[in-house]
Amino acid sequence: MDSHLALDRIVMRFGGLTAVNGLSMSVARGAIHALIGPNGAGKSTVFNCVSRIYRPTEGRIRFEGRDITGLPAHAMAGLGIARTFQNLELFNELTVLENVMLGAFSRLETRLVERLWPASPRTRARAEEILEGTGLADVRHVRANGLDFGRQKLLEVARALALSPSLLLLDEPAAGLRSREIERLDTILTDLNRERGITILLVEHVMQLVMSISDRITVLSFGEKIAEGTPEAVRGDPRVIEAYLGTKQAGEATHHG
Amino acid sequence: MSARVLAAVAVVLVGLGLALPALATGYVVYIANLLLVFVVLSLGLHLVIGEAGQFSLAHAAFYGIGIYTAALSSKVLGLPFLAALLAGGVLAALCGLAIGVLSLRMRDIYLALSTFAFGEAMQWVFLNWTPVTGGPNGLAIPPASFLGRPILSDKAAFPVVAGVTLVVIALVAGLHASGLGRAFRAVRESEVAAAAVGIDVRRTKLLAFTLSAFLAGAAGGLFTTFSTFIHPDSLGFQTTILVLTMIVVGGIGSVTGAVGGAVVFGLVSELLRQVPSYQEVIYGGILMLFMMYAPRGVFALVGRR
Amino acid sequence: MDSDIVLLFLQQGIASGLVTGSVYALLAIAIVIVFRTTDVANFAEGEFYMAAAYFAFFLIAIAGVPIWLALPLTLVAAALAAGLFQRVVLRRVAAARGVAVNLVIATLGLSYVLKGLVRATGFGDTPRTFPSVVPDGSVTLGEASLSYLDLTILAAALAVMAAFFAVFNLTRTGRAMRAVGMNRRAAQLVGINLGRTERLVWAFAGGISSVAAILIAPKLLMTAEMGVVVTLAFAAAIVGGFTSLPGAVVGGFIIGVAENLVGLFVSTRAINVAPFVIIMLVLVFKPQGLFGGRLRVRKV
Repeated sequence: MDSHLALDRIVMRFGGLTAVNGLSMSVARGAIHALIGPNGAGKSTVFNCVSRIYRPTEGRIRFEGRDITGLPAHAMAGLGIARTFQNLELFNELTVLENVMLGAFSRLETRLVERLWPASPRTRARAEEILEGTGLADVRHVRANGLDFGRQKLLEVARALALSPSLLLLDEPAAGLRSREIERLDTILTDLNRERGITILLVEHVMQLVMSISDRITVLSFGEKIAEGTPEAVRGDPRVIEAYLGTKQAGEATHHG
Repeated sequence: MSARVLAAVAVVLVGLGLALPALATGYVVYIANLLLVFVVLSLGLHLVIGEAGQFSLAHAAFYGIGIYTAALSSKVLGLPFLAALLAGGVLAALCGLAIGVLSLRMRDIYLALSTFAFGEAMQWVFLNWTPVTGGPNGLAIPPASFLGRPILSDKAAFPVVAGVTLVVIALVAGLHASGLGRAFRAVRESEVAAAAVGIDVRRTKLLAFTLSAFLAGAAGGLFTTFSTFIHPDSLGFQTTILVLTMIVVGGIGSVTGAVGGAVVFGLVSELLRQVPSYQEVIYGGILMLFMMYAPRGVFALVGRR
Repeated sequence: MDSDIVLLFLQQGIASGLVTGSVYALLAIAIVIVFRTTDVANFAEGEFYMAAAYFAFFLIAIAGVPIWLALPLTLVAAALAAGLFQRVVLRRVAAARGVAVNLVIATLGLSYVLKGLVRATGFGDTPRTFPSVVPDGSVTLGEASLSYLDLTILAAALAVMAAFFAVFNLTRTGRAMRAVGMNRRAAQLVGINLGRTERLVWAFAGGISSVAAILIAPKLLMTAEMGVVVTLAFAAAIVGGFTSLPGAVVGGFIIGVAENLVGLFVSTRAINVAPFVIIMLVLVFKPQGLFGGRLRVRKV
């Protein structure tokens, strides 16, 4: 399998603090790849570097072989990279449908002339299709901030999907969800990956989900990669156990894993 | 604003256009003209604050740029009314673009501060650039020329003002429904998420800000069709606050609110003109109370979206 | 202009500039501390200052309250009013729809209410003179001359700044204010009461504004429009980076001196536009100010 996304010795410093220290990793095309590690390990920072919210202090990021390190954040959607946010970044005052249409729109209607018109039927149809697929169709006219937490998380995923990405970045999609909702997420993500071939990179603390869907796992601790491999290999790795010991995730890791 | 509301507004304006000059006194028609100018001003401020969520406090300055440009290009260059109005709008938009390019790199509060400073500096320029603006003596505005004939009265101006206002309302309502309007609101709600769905945040803000300045300038051009005099005193922060109060009352983010707020509150401000202290307490009180209890405006109060 | 005059103007401009600058510094502190901790640009700062000046004026000139009592009363009233504004208005605005635009609109609303109220009393329309307790007379420093009032203003402003920095850096309350400014969520996690801290910050800002008002009022004619002076304090805050308190102080002095030099060397008419030009120039060329740290990156 070829490399869909490659990070080459990424360093991210904030003032004196080094959040990510020389991380190299490769996400294979068509894989579900998880990035895990204790709190403060730098996982979200890596995400923000890939989606270009941060500009890494050093290192290069390649997407489909192309160097994207210098591109602006808004160019990612056009390349086929979509993301969700850990702390929910929905368009709160807009409806569920509008949230998803904003995703579909950027991918389907790129010329200014098209943008000056109300959404075309195909954008609308694309948005409806995604709402059906994620089970949000019955709340399409509800404002995003009127949804319960579980559906808000789902809407984040739906909006990202509307961009028709080839790479989906999910920042803690399961955090705060109930176990039934997690199972549902598990199904949705597996389907996306198998049926549409979308590569998924996710940061997640919920080990139940990580262990169940991931093809490959990279473990970060204090900004450095300490282990990488299949779920089985990582689970037994003594360095991983050590990194988690004494932290809050240790209990979670054993409990869910 | 739905197509139905828009059609209703159109019917009202056309009806008034036919009836008002025949029925009402010159003063009433003058007020009607002024209210329509406020409608255009509010729609301009609505674009930048209501749609894109950016704070601009230089609206009166752009309005002034529009007035002086339209008046002078009509007086000196002999431009017909529509060309003069466009000239006013374009010059205001260019100034807006310049301010926007310079201040939109920064956190949103800097836009408020730099537009505030720009507004105050422009008022100073209006007051002190005597050869052009007449300075503290004000400037007499020549009659605008429409279809080769001068517009000599408020009554003659009303159909023109109403026509332009209607076009502006339709354009802003169309923009609200378009993908660009949705992109404006996406930027308002979350900049990072907007970028993540492929919206160029900075360019979108800049566009909203420039369009807003254009409409303020166009409102200035509209003002020159029926007004014979302009003084820098009416182009200061107070006017910006008045327009802000209009969109707040109508409901920030709503096109109908911007139009309705301008009409209702334009009347209120005209009534309060004689008592400046109450005027200030009422504007200020309304701003505070609406932000506290009805941030979506009167339309939210009566239970509408 | 010959060199003697230049030298005289320079010395006088700097000396007078330091005096007015010290008052701008106080007002800039009030603006910056509110912005740092509550993320609100307080457009009512000028009217806090104006209303405090009038409140003191009423007490002294109308009600006949002795000045030693009027000053602390004004300070307490201003602090209470500002704290009350946070408690009653801003908290409610944040709960209704806490976007930054709405909070700023609320402060604009307050500024107009205060201005209108002062005008409605009937004292705001004609310029008034604030009574001065400092005897007339002046001292000469080099070629510059400063009145006793000037020296009192400078000394008092410096003392208040010193007291403020002591409170801000050394006390528990001050540290809580700083913590909230750095990271609200974290501050809350370590047990800081956000609402109470914000209220105190507003009260602080109100108190400092009233001191500034009382200090400079005897030098100015009082009108309901006197709050425009605070534009200079905004310029000072921006020069200082808008989030830095030492920056606000240095910015205040820079603006004070610059204002006086412009008045002496260019024209008094140019003084009116100088603060706006400074604001725009700084925002364009050095938006982080002279002392502002790195730009904050929002965590997502």
